[in-house]
Amino acid sequence: MLRSLSLALLRFVVLVLVAGLAGATLVRVAPGFSSDEQELTPGLSSESIQAIRQARLADGNVPRFYLHYLNGLLHGNLGRSQSLNQPVRDLLRDRLPVSLRSLGFALLLAWSFGLALAVGAFRVKSRWLVMAADSSGGALISTPAAVLALVFLMMRWPPVLAVGLLIFPKIYRYTRNLIEECLEMPHIVVARAKGVGPWRLLSWHVVPIAIPQLIALVGVSISMGLGALLPVEVFCDLHGIGQLAWTAAQSRDLPLLVNLTLVVSCLTIGAIMCCDELRRVVGRAAA
Amino acid sequence: MRAKGLLVSLVLLCSSAVFAQNGGELRFCLRSDPKTFNPLLVNDDASETVRYLTAGFLLRVNRLTQQPEPELATSWKVLDGGKSIRLKLRPDVRYSDGTPFSAADVAYTMQQLLDPSVHSATSDAFRSGEGKLVTRVLSPTSIELTFPAPVANLISLFDGVPIISSASPQKEMAALGPFFVAEHKAGAFVLLKRNPNYWKKDVQGRQLPYLDSIRLDVEQNPDIEAMRYQRGEIDLINTVSPAIYEKLSSVNASFVRDAGPSTDAEEMWFNQVPSAPIPAYKKQWFTSAAFRRAVSAAINREDVARLVFRGHAVPAIGNVPQSNKFWFNASLRPDAYDAAGALRRLQSDGFRLENQQLRDKSGNPVEFSIVTNAGNRSREQMATMIQQDLKKIGINVNVVTLDFNSLLERMTQTFNYEACLLGTVNGDLDPSSQMTMWLSSGEDHIWNPKEKTPATPWEAEIDKQMRIQASTLDLHKRKAAWDQVQKIALEQAPVIYLVNKDSLVAISPQVKNAQPSPFRPQAYWNIESLMLARR
Amino acid sequence: MKILHKIALAVLLSTALASVFARYIAPAGYEQQFRDEAQAGPSLQHPLGTDELGRDRFARLVYGMRVSLFLAPLAALLSTILAAAVGGVAGFCGGWVERIVMGATDLFLALPWLFLLITVRAVLPLNLSPMTSVIITFALLGVLGWAPAARVICAGAKQVLQSDFVWGARARGCGGLRLIRVHLLPSLRPALAAQFFLSIPVFIIAEANLGALGLGVSEPLPSLGGLVCELQDLVMLRPEPWRLAPLVVLIVVIGAFQVLLSKQEVHA
Repeated sequence: MLRSLSLALLRFVVLVLVAGLAGATLVRVAPGFSSDEQELTPGLSSESIQAIRQARLADGNVPRFYLHYLNGLLHGNLGRSQSLNQPVRDLLRDRLPVSLRSLGFALLLAWSFGLALAVGAFRVKSRWLVMAADSSGGALISTPAAVLALVFLMMRWPPVLAVGLLIFPKIYRYTRNLIEECLEMPHIVVARAKGVGPWRLLSWHVVPIAIPQLIALVGVSISMGLGALLPVEVFCDLHGIGQLAWTAAQSRDLPLLVNLTLVVSCLTIGAIMCCDELRRVVGRAAA
Repeated sequence: MRAKGLLVSLVLLCSSAVFAQNGGELRFCLRSDPKTFNPLLVNDDASETVRYLTAGFLLRVNRLTQQPEPELATSWKVLDGGKSIRLKLRPDVRYSDGTPFSAADVAYTMQQLLDPSVHSATSDAFRSGEGKLVTRVLSPTSIELTFPAPVANLISLFDGVPIISSASPQKEMAALGPFFVAEHKAGAFVLLKRNPNYWKKDVQGRQLPYLDSIRLDVEQNPDIEAMRYQRGEIDLINTVSPAIYEKLSSVNASFVRDAGPSTDAEEMWFNQVPSAPIPAYKKQWFTSAAFRRAVSAAINREDVARLVFRGHAVPAIGNVPQSNKFWFNASLRPDAYDAAGALRRLQSDGFRLENQQLRDKSGNPVEFSIVTNAGNRSREQMATMIQQDLKKIGINVNVVTLDFNSLLERMTQTFNYEACLLGTVNGDLDPSSQMTMWLSSGEDHIWNPKEKTPATPWEAEIDKQMRIQASTLDLHKRKAAWDQVQKIALEQAPVIYLVNKDSLVAISPQVKNAQPSPFRPQAYWNIESLMLARR
Repeated sequence: MKILHKIALAVLLSTALASVFARYIAPAGYEQQFRDEAQAGPSLQHPLGTDELGRDRFARLVYGMRVSLFLAPLAALLSTILAAAVGGVAGFCGGWVERIVMGATDLFLALPWLFLLITVRAVLPLNLSPMTSVIITFALLGVLGWAPAARVICAGAKQVLQSDFVWGARARGCGGLRLIRVHLLPSLRPALAAQFFLSIPVFIIAEANLGALGLGVSEPLPSLGGLVCELQDLVMLRPEPWRLAPLVVLIVVIGAFQVLLSKQEVHA
């Protein structure tokens, strides 16, 4: 038990560190790393422009930067944002809770709606309910996040609801397809023919089959949620890490982007690994 | 009838004065968090806004008259042909924390500003030559500054020099301006409070500013900013897009004001860098003045102004907008839209039109790409209109939008582009602010930066005229040289100027004494005089 | 439900026909600028009015559909195949193969791919034709969009492989490719179908957003995603309901896909 936990922790740390290094490399290789909007200030001398470029290239050597960064990280120093001229630790301390709250709320909403409608469609067997759920899911997934978020803002509703509604169709669609597929399995067809009630059918036959994939979906829904949160935070000026990431990306702010990559990796990889573990536990219990 | 009108106007004027009051909080938005509160290190718009509202300056250029006016310096005298300046300072002035202001602060500020680690346009402009600045404090209210070489436009440069305290325990946070920074929540807002020691009074002897405080909310999205303005949550928007202007205007005409053409221009240019990684035959087109003039004439600027800017822009003539009253060369006329004339010009330069496709002497189809920054809707629309206009003379244009840093790298380092569409923001009206753009050796000589020697005779002539205007204090000589530069720029079209945008501002009817200017900061340049009506 | 399926089929067919024969249906070219009729409301000449530059919105819609509705399903198919391959292999092999492949998938989910896209734009020539640019963009979306589904499919594959009927099949000597074809793939179909269906609108909109990086459809060629994203200023600036047409078309087409896909699932 302890060994497997240690191995999982080691895997987690390695993956997160590799993600940080790969993220830093992607930022460094992308064009525009050594450019700064400040260069276009009218009247700036050649020496000043060169000095600005040199300052940008100070972190140009990725391995050296990363080692230096990790050394700082061990001492609690996350570096300083180039674009916002503030310690990254302060920025994350202010903004991470905002995003985590939004993400938690959005996922709760999406999973509640998604599961409720998928189960409802199976339980009620109403063609109209299925059509309504399918259409609303289709409409939401076809609407750009920015448009949906702005509509919410105009209506003075919390924009984070929009994030939930953007993830909901994915949860609903996967869940419904899984339930439908399970219902076609021979032993479930037999159980239905024998008159097993819908709730019993769901809890005894469908859930055990669908649960591993649903648990995997829980893990990746964190990643989906973060993906949906970014545009909403940017368009609605929510002061979370999504907005921070966009600002950092625009100005190729390497220290900030590496920290954000690590945060996102910790969240996604951590969630996925927890779900994997849960799946194993559920699998053992089912066996 | 006229008397009746006058009476009504008087009543309205009086009533606005009666209902306006001292105090209150003005609210508006910053596009981003200020990067610094040190006024000497400012290089972003948000920090510049805070600096404008909090810092004290020796003099300021009046945004309406375009003339320098005394502030902390009551008078000045330029000596040694622009190499020195003697300033007489206002007595009995204190910083927001009570520290007295004196000539030592001016000396300290100038030394800090010219520190080699400070990189700003103002400090670079003062660094006129090899050597150091010599400051001589003649008395607590008098100082003489001597630069290593004459500085062009010396007086107006002080409009960009915020005076910081040499003695205050609060260092650069001690303010000499109308407000001081009272609170800052990163990413959310900056709260400025009235400086109780501000030196300025109104004509009735009342202490300025009238406002108690200013709250600057950080709001990146202009659409949301407009929505908040419409809901009355903020009182002004310093710059609004034409689309938002129209929207707000349709709600209430008094919500918005067009302050007239600004100094901001939209322009395009062709890459003329000899080492650029583009085909040689294209370089030949781009270095041909006839080709550039033909492209310029084939663009319908009136349509661009009418459609993209909804009529809130004027066709640009050259590098100096008409709104720059003194320096504009009034004898110049814009390139009139003339597709047929453009085609004739191209044909005389060896191009030919075959099956609606223009070809050069060697038979290469004339096709190029225009890059512009993504996310700027008006530029994307302008590029699309240019694409359509040039198609009429057989030129195919590909429009490519890039994120700003990628675009900047192509423009300034790799030179891997063919034509670029961008805008310039010109805060300074004086030609000396454009030295680095027009000198062939300049970094901002965008079509071919940092030439070792002028690549063409006309660039050599521009170099000569720019040096003349920079080396003399005689305004008429400077104007003549600058006029000549404008004329050459129009004839050679290294940069094709498209439109000068109007300054569009949104100021709530609740804000009294607002006099929007075409120049930055358009809506609040007279911040100490702004008042709020009772809410 | 038969009628619904027929309607869905009719919708997709008519959309496809409208896109193919856009030249004959559209009242004008998608790039033609009627500069004196900019921002006009619907009329006989311009059924959906004109945009800021005076271009016919209806023409842009039918041409935009052609680009998006042909390429987005192909990209969705590519991402679904990749998800099936990666997730299926990991689930089927298990052990260290699964750990490595899923570790790479997790890494894939966490990386800022935005910068890869910026780099791809940098290595592409600026004079790409709009059509080449959009094909490359959809291909990129297909290549980058597989990771979340791969995780779910891996979990599904493992579940199926541990089920009684697979043990039975194995005991009867069924193995390798036959096991994958007969037992694994049919069981994974719901997750794969969901991935395919969900990717289509997501890719259509993502293509428009990639315009910010110089990828995607470039002017004057329209795309459905680009037209839908323009609704942002409709929300804020102008309440012109006819401008909702691209969104309505996208929703209807996605709905039609949904209906047809569920029909295929039922009959498979």
